[in-house]
Amino acid sequence: MQTIYTLFLLTSLLSLALYKKPLLAQRIGFGLASLISLYAAVFFFSSLDEILIWKLPGNFISLPLFRLDAIGMFFSFLVSLIAFAVSLFSFDYAKFYEKKANLAVFASLFNAFILSMLLVIASDNVFSFMLLWEVMTLISALLILINDGEGASKNVMIYLGVAQIGAFCLMVALIIMASIAGTFEFSKFADLNIGFGMSITLFTLLLVGLGSKAGMFPFHVWLPIAYCQCPSNASALMSGVMIKVALFAFIKFSLLLPQFAWFGYILLLVGALSCIFGIIYALASNDYKASIAYSSCENVGIIFLGLGGAFYGLGINSPTIALLGFIAAFFHILNHAVFKSLLFMLSGNVFTATNTRDMDALGGLHKKMPITSIIFFVAAISICALPPLNGFASEWVIYKTMVIGGIDEGVASRFFFTLGIIALSITGAMAIMAFSKMYGSIFLGIARDTKCVEEAKEVSFSRLLPLGLLASLCVGIGVFMNDVIGVLSKVVLTLIPQTTASAYGLISMPLIIIIMLLCAIIPFVLLYLFKANHKEVRVTEPWACGFLYNKSMQIGSNSFTGDIRKALSFLLKHEQEIKIDGYFSKAVYTKKTHDLFWEKLYAPVIDFVMLVADKIGIFQNGRTNLYAGYILIYLCLVLIFGYYYL
Amino acid sequence: MDFFYLLLQLVSAIVVAPLFDGISRKLRAKFQSRVGPSIFQTYRDLFKLLKRGRTKSHSTSYIYQISPYVLFASAAAMFCVLPIAYGPSSVALSRFSDIFILLYLGALFRFMFIVAGIDTANPFAGISASREGTLGFYTEEIAVICLVVVMMGTGSTNLAYITNLIQEGSYGYAFPSFSVAATAFLWVMYVETGRKPYDLAEAEQELQEGVLGEYCGKDLAIIDIAILLKQMTMLGFFLIIFVPWAGLVANPILSLILFLAEIGFLYIMGVFIDNFGPRFTVNNGIKRTMLFALAISCTSLVLYIMGI
Repeated sequence: MQTIYTLFLLTSLLSLALYKKPLLAQRIGFGLASLISLYAAVFFFSSLDEILIWKLPGNFISLPLFRLDAIGMFFSFLVSLIAFAVSLFSFDYAKFYEKKANLAVFASLFNAFILSMLLVIASDNVFSFMLLWEVMTLISALLILINDGEGASKNVMIYLGVAQIGAFCLMVALIIMASIAGTFEFSKFADLNIGFGMSITLFTLLLVGLGSKAGMFPFHVWLPIAYCQCPSNASALMSGVMIKVALFAFIKFSLLLPQFAWFGYILLLVGALSCIFGIIYALASNDYKASIAYSSCENVGIIFLGLGGAFYGLGINSPTIALLGFIAAFFHILNHAVFKSLLFMLSGNVFTATNTRDMDALGGLHKKMPITSIIFFVAAISICALPPLNGFASEWVIYKTMVIGGIDEGVASRFFFTLGIIALSITGAMAIMAFSKMYGSIFLGIARDTKCVEEAKEVSFSRLLPLGLLASLCVGIGVFMNDVIGVLSKVVLTLIPQTTASAYGLISMPLIIIIMLLCAIIPFVLLYLFKANHKEVRVTEPWACGFLYNKSMQIGSNSFTGDIRKALSFLLKHEQEIKIDGYFSKAVYTKKTHDLFWEKLYAPVIDFVMLVADKIGIFQNGRTNLYAGYILIYLCLVLIFGYYYL
Repeated sequence: MDFFYLLLQLVSAIVVAPLFDGISRKLRAKFQSRVGPSIFQTYRDLFKLLKRGRTKSHSTSYIYQISPYVLFASAAAMFCVLPIAYGPSSVALSRFSDIFILLYLGALFRFMFIVAGIDTANPFAGISASREGTLGFYTEEIAVICLVVVMMGTGSTNLAYITNLIQEGSYGYAFPSFSVAATAFLWVMYVETGRKPYDLAEAEQELQEGVLGEYCGKDLAIIDIAILLKQMTMLGFFLIIFVPWAGLVANPILSLILFLAEIGFLYIMGVFIDNFGPRFTVNNGIKRTMLFALAISCTSLVLYIMGI
């Protein structure tokens, strides 16, 4: 594992050294990154059941020890797998940002980002963990800045602000845990002797600290802001794997605490809220990238539902539920990494081809970019959890966990598990609307803004290849779900010893596919039996009730969700304005959807901080003699304080 | 052998579905003091469609071509999930007969329906696609709440197993939560069949058929069969959980006939509701009436949570 880390570091430095030749640096940086991550993926997968330990030589800041167990190995595998696809994609894609930033820096940051994520997973010490965690945050913030432009610095500040809140909570939790355990090394933390109140406090701190990074509700506000600002390959990495690193840390640390059933309930509640709010905003958004970003919040919620089952199982000492819950959560983590990074890269393809993020301007892109479109279709089906792809497989396991969890007597467990199932089903219904709208308004129908779409071209093969690989993973994981669950249960069993994997009456995905294929044959048989008319299809204008057809007659992404936005108006603050000047002039319709939590929770705090900063600003006015005066006052105060109290 | 019964179940459903539709059309006509078409009219309509030529809008893509078959496959697979002619004794098929598979195949149906509507760029298709999605948003959670009660009550998501438990009598109407859930579930399944006051399957352009505005010829015929099949599945879904006693007949073919007759009975009885109400707009009417169904389902859930 040292080799992999060193190689990433060297590639990062090498591409930075080629500062003067950005195009070459881009080729070398991203090319090498894909090779190393492919090697890393194979390496981590093959040593899934080993424990690797690595020490930095010498007494380098408090003995940083790096340790990978089965869970860490699984997440490292996930990071390198997605990094492989994304860097292969960036090999060509990064050129799009040639004018905005130096590509050598981009490539260097990209490698450093992968490295920092791998190191965060491996670090086994509070100090090195916090340091690397912050390094990871900073590098991702710099990656956001690659796409410099209007408002970029404000967006980065929002991202960093939420990250700081998280890091603060995380730091507090880890230091308390370390002081109780009497050591800074995570592997020696076991059996913390603390009561219920302290555990719940620590758990909440960890949840806020790491959940804010994972995009959990109500810390989801940075997701659309940061991801829309980012280049698509960086947002694919951030959403695909950085979120998973936070979840990994969450699982790792909260397992060190004594377990209570309430951990599970908290997670189920947070998960249910995250899924519902995430998908509502994803549905209302007209910006496809923001919509995909909001759906990250939704998927993190779904993962939390699985984890909630797992922690509940640990809390009540029921290994069956715990095992199933962890398998469900890990399965969805894997799947979300695959299809979310795929979707972000696809959105990058669409953006480079059309230069707009507005769904109302697009349409009919399938004819221009057929392969991108078909891959997008696969990804959309997968993220909507429709059979027979991977999203359905993992959501099924999550449903199963919650059904089993809700059987027990006890009002609390029944209440929270049913809440989880209902939230998941509402999410399912809305995800279908959100993604059918997204796919439909980007790729189907007729171009609304012909200027954008007309010049769109299919992207190069080297960008389609990684997308194709991830899309086939979506299909493959779905079809072989039972084998994947077998592998995952081996990983998960290291978390909960003294249990054995048992069969839960899993569904059989190949059977679903076979039955669906057989069913698809029946219409052909019918057509043959009744000698249907097979004449060629005549092509006409779409029917418009006798009026002359106009492309603006087709449904827009706004009106598509109009009814549901009205029904949910108590959650979604949206303003609409209709201007009609006269019968012959064009009517203007504008709509704005506000993130309620941004306005009610964040904006007041930010305004207050700005106000305070403004007031404090008087002190810093650039006059040197005044500054000398401050020092004088401070000295006097110290002297007085010292004289009386020391 | 199980696969043979599965095929028999599917084929017989496809064969009789248009008949039920014909009977309900005739009955509706009688209510409205019309003579009405013959009860075999739906067969004739489908046959006529198969023989017609087709046109398509120039905006359409591959989605337009594959969607009739995907819609049919998902509707037919949904019907296959219902363990009518097979039971939990069939090891292979009971790994297929799962409540969530049925629900998410229905979601696949809805997804393809919406996407196919948008693909044609037809204004009415777009509006009805939006309506279809919104309707799904209203119905899905009520159906799931009712099913949660059943699934947690029996401790399984396997439909064949649940049906078997209820047939044996070890779970069922003795539990108040189950009997309350039955009401709400029937309500939702009625909404899913696309009848007034929630939908009008054959008439206005912005409703259910609006999505199919650009479809014609054999494509429309296939989609029509798929929709009929989906409606039968929804009623069958209610029957297999809440009235599963047709399965007690030992002979699978006989129990299949009995079950299809039950579905037909419910389908035709729907006319009585269908005929005596206005149609609702999505936001006012449906929201208001679905709140009742939601309240009923939540009552059953509360009963379950309290352990009654």
